[in-house]
Amino acid sequence: MSTITRTLRNIRKIGIRDFLHQMQYQGDTKAGTFIAADRYGNKYYENLDDELPLRTRWVDYKESEFSPDQLDPGWHAWMSYIVDKPPTEDPILRTNQRSWEIPEHRPNMTASRGAFKTYSTVKPKIHAWLPEAKPR
Amino acid sequence: MALRGICSPPHCASPPATNKPLLPAKPTAALFPFRAGPIACISSSSSKSQATEVTPSTHAEGPPLVSGKPRREVPLPSQEKKEGAMQYALTTMDQIANWARQGSLWPMTFGLACCAIEMMHLSTPRYDQDRLGIIFRASPRQSDVMIVAGTLTNKMAPALRQVYDQMPDPRWVISMGSCANGGGYYHYSYSVTRGCDRIVPVDVYVPGCPPTSEALMYGIFQLQKKMRHTRITRMWYRK
Repeated sequence: MSTITRTLRNIRKIGIRDFLHQMQYQGDTKAGTFIAADRYGNKYYENLDDELPLRTRWVDYKESEFSPDQLDPGWHAWMSYIVDKPPTEDPILRTNQRSWEIPEHRPNMTASRGAFKTYSTVKPKIHAWLPEAKPR
Repeated sequence: MALRGICSPPHCASPPATNKPLLPAKPTAALFPFRAGPIACISSSSSKSQATEVTPSTHAEGPPLVSGKPRREVPLPSQEKKEGAMQYALTTMDQIANWARQGSLWPMTFGLACCAIEMMHLSTPRYDQDRLGIIFRASPRQSDVMIVAGTLTNKMAPALRQVYDQMPDPRWVISMGSCANGGGYYHYSYSVTRGCDRIVPVDVYVPGCPPTSEALMYGIFQLQKKMRHTRITRMWYRK
């Protein structure tokens, strides 16, 4: 819910440049504290005082063609109100700590060249006949 | 070498010097053993190592196709670059049309089973599909996208096809849940269609049993992404 006074107040806080950026990307004017940026470059903000419930945390995506799979898993949990603390403060959610982790975040590659395709690792059970004439 | 024509799939025709039978040490031939010719050629050359490759435009690579022509890598529609003033103008028109399409996505609800519950949750205030311009329509003649949510039985399949045929172009289909994707739990049932893609062409498959509302919403985002990359007037101009 946005009012003119709230919009003007937030524009005063964030400046005209961020205002245009936010209108382009999320269609609302929001002012909050910058929490951190994740490995991919998305920036996360929070304002627990002025915003309505479930709108208190938001993300400024790095890419113009954004999609929620670009968020790191821990940051996704924080954005979805699964956890209270962001991954920068919560040691459990910290990335690059476990040996089985992949070093970078991989977004969903559907509809691109990196899309998953099934393949078989089983040795083929039948072979084509290779005609081979023995010398006489 | 004269007998080579018998060995019809091109990828199993080894070079003439080696008369050895195929060993599993040859990865491309071993991974994709014996399918119909062109399909095997398409799938065998697009390996995971090409994940980062962006624009391989027109360079011949790998074994020739069954038709004898060299294989061509075609960039994805989202990867094609704009050339010339006409393409720039048409791209803008496409962007306007795609923006309008994305902003008012009216789904034909085809709720068949428990997936429909999650589809209903999408319209409730927590996920609030109205902010995306998504309004459920009960009539196929007023809708753009059909969300097939749930198990599609053989008895329902003609009705699904009829409803799809009644939808005006452009139309899209989201297959929601395991049952609609490929039969799911009822795959071996005598009365269940093994995937709604046997009946209608599907754009987005949403996995899950049932998928959460978030998953369905993500599927809608993927469909919007597909719409954004649709080249409507550009394809028309090319003809």
